[in-house]
Amino acid sequence: MTTTAPAAPSGVRAVFRGHRLNEAGLIIAIALLYVILGVTAAGFLSPSNQLGMLRDAATIGIAAWGVTLVIISGEIDISIGPAVAFSSVLVALGSAQWGLGIGGAILLTLVLGAGWGALAGWLRARFGVPSFIATLGLWSVLGGLGLYLTDALPVVLPESGLMDVLGGSILGIPTAAIVMVILLLVFVYIAKYTPYGRAVYAIGGNAAAAELSGINLSRVRVALFATTGLLAAITGVLLAARLGAGSGSAAAGLEFDVIAAVVIGGTALAGGRGSLLGTFLGVVFITVIGNGLVLLGVDSFLQDVIRGVIIVGAVLINVWAGRRGAATRTS
Amino acid sequence: MTEHIQRAPGVVVAVSGLTKHYPGVQALTDADMSIRAGEVRALLGRNGAGKSTLIRLLSGVETPDAGTIVVDGQPLDGGVRRAGELGVQPVHQELSLVPQLSVAENLFLGSWPLQGGRIDYGRMRDETSRVLGELELRISPDATVGELPLAEQQLVEIARAVRRQPRLLILDEPTSALAASEVKTVLETVRRIAESGVAVIYVSHRLDEIRQVASSATVMRDGRIVETVGLEDVTTEQVVDLMLGETAQSVERLVTGEVDRDVTPLLRVRGLHVPPKLQDVSFDVFPGEVLGIAGLMGAGRSELLRALAGFESIAAGTVTVAGERLAAVRPRAMKRLGVGLTPEDRKGEAIIPLLGVDENLTLADYRSVSTGPTIGWRRLRETARTLIQRLGIAAAGPQTPIVNLSGGNQQKAVIGRWLHAGSRILLLDEPTRGVDVQAKEEIYGLVRELADRGAAIVFVSGELEELPLVCDRVLILRDGGLAGEMTGDEITTDSVIAAAMATT
Repeated sequence: MTTTAPAAPSGVRAVFRGHRLNEAGLIIAIALLYVILGVTAAGFLSPSNQLGMLRDAATIGIAAWGVTLVIISGEIDISIGPAVAFSSVLVALGSAQWGLGIGGAILLTLVLGAGWGALAGWLRARFGVPSFIATLGLWSVLGGLGLYLTDALPVVLPESGLMDVLGGSILGIPTAAIVMVILLLVFVYIAKYTPYGRAVYAIGGNAAAAELSGINLSRVRVALFATTGLLAAITGVLLAARLGAGSGSAAAGLEFDVIAAVVIGGTALAGGRGSLLGTFLGVVFITVIGNGLVLLGVDSFLQDVIRGVIIVGAVLINVWAGRRGAATRTS
Repeated sequence: MTEHIQRAPGVVVAVSGLTKHYPGVQALTDADMSIRAGEVRALLGRNGAGKSTLIRLLSGVETPDAGTIVVDGQPLDGGVRRAGELGVQPVHQELSLVPQLSVAENLFLGSWPLQGGRIDYGRMRDETSRVLGELELRISPDATVGELPLAEQQLVEIARAVRRQPRLLILDEPTSALAASEVKTVLETVRRIAESGVAVIYVSHRLDEIRQVASSATVMRDGRIVETVGLEDVTTEQVVDLMLGETAQSVERLVTGEVDRDVTPLLRVRGLHVPPKLQDVSFDVFPGEVLGIAGLMGAGRSELLRALAGFESIAAGTVTVAGERLAAVRPRAMKRLGVGLTPEDRKGEAIIPLLGVDENLTLADYRSVSTGPTIGWRRLRETARTLIQRLGIAAAGPQTPIVNLSGGNQQKAVIGRWLHAGSRILLLDEPTRGVDVQAKEEIYGLVRELADRGAAIVFVSGELEELPLVCDRVLILRDGGLAGEMTGDEITTDSVIAAAMATT
């Protein structure tokens, strides 16, 4: 009995503080970046640059919502980049060469996206193929297919009002950013207010306990990966609309930006803990850094170096904060 | 003081005045014991009697507050390393082998023989063959440990200790995970080791097994050594009496009313076979009844409950719930029929550590706290608060992460999860393991209350002395089959323990 009553309240506060610490820290870091870049990088604060950043954020963010849930459940999805590229190719080929029309091509892309995601999830759920490997397979297959089908050349989209809207703006705000925000709200709702979302947390926290409570692990896992497939397809369609073409070499390395955003946002790679709000801040953080480095005229190879250091540093602080929270809890 | 130690001839280990306190607990008080070379000494006692403390002190994991341990004339005055040097080799209950490696590699884990900076596989193999040969074990040094049957893995574990040429070998329930047929080789091996002049401490709850391997037994109770007896001179009942002392007779049963066994049983099991552990298990549980399943570790207790909840594949037999015979026993169907399982491993299989008590209580069924597909958090917290109050869970608030609660409160929440889901057949696997005395009593009270409201409860416990407190009926599970049944006043601590431990 010695541990119960006194330990509990301080423990809650510690965990609570740990989470808030991360999010508050990110907000401060982003604010700092804004101040520094506002002073040093010409044009950083201009409306057009800010809107451009929103559009860039959408490329990472839309898929990141799904990947957040995947990582909370204790899994990983590394197929996002090639999946986005392949989706952009699909929608371009479908509308320009296969005669499906824009609507048909978009539908095909979304259905296939959910389909290949579900396949990866099924391999994980049914056969126990580690999700890293299942999605590594997707990464390779989709990346290869995108280049093969197009001979590595961009496929130009036919003229279309729908695509102009998707690639452009609504009331001055980039359509992709609007889609990102709507999906963020949807995912916050799913994560917090549906049994499915809570099952994701339960599985990541303790899969054995979740199973003994009657949660269908397989169904949840298939749905998780089908979701990231679908989100990658949406991102691919929006990217194609913006570029006016589908390209098998688009979005290279996007999967790592997505994972970095999720982890910077405080989601534990080991599963069981994480939030979409955190991921949102992580997406903003990464986008601002990327944009700032470009505006500052940093050499593009050097940009990768700096980004790598900043990402690892951010996660390190995160881990440290989490450990302090855990230490307070157990002591 | 080293020089003054008296050495009786042949004594390998001499313990005198050994005492160890933990905060609030007198774990071991003034223990004296000596064991001669070639002797197998059984160590008996209930959970918490002080056996593990004694073993930890002997193997150098803990240092005593007072008293001495002398091994072969040398005082044990250091930690694990010193104990190893003196020739004390403990073999713990949980296997500590690397399943992917070979037998030889496991025997030399961490102390691989080197030649010119390279691992000398040849020597490793030869040495391993020699040790296995001495023990007359037919296990290949090249076999992958994970592919061996469990009994042979246990033997490899023992062989690893033997390779280090121990003077004192400590075996902590080496057969608890084994089926009856596998136990024989282990016992033979232990006898062979003793014959080579090693002193052996053998911890087990299986009296029949102890009689086959040991000549004498040291009985512990409440942190003290009660007596050391020659096993030929005592009956099983006498040993049980020594283990339990006076306390056993004074328990207060919480069982109140009579169970009506003429109605349709809530759960009926017939001829259940669950390979490899269970054979031909049949029983009924009636509404309002707490049915105890008494058995030692490895008897198949958990397998039985997991099978009934649909988590083990059933080879033969039928399960009938409230008169409805089931075509198949599947997890979700059983849940729908009102079957709830609380697993033995609370931390590993029951709680979702970082989620709040509220969600841990409600996660098996969100329907009653949802509007359509949307979870209503206010309603969820309200429901949780009611349950927390009803079950007497001590938590700062409904949102407190469950990992911050004590074991007893976690357990109450895990049981509460199934109350929330509306279960009427509760399968409780070791619900009081690792919880303090007060929480135990609260859990007993809760179990009784649920039964009195018409639930059927299967209460599995290895702490056999708690079964008389809560159970209307007790079934004895031994080596995967039912070996007896007791009802009402027949259920006493003595009778349950004697039946579970007895020879088949």
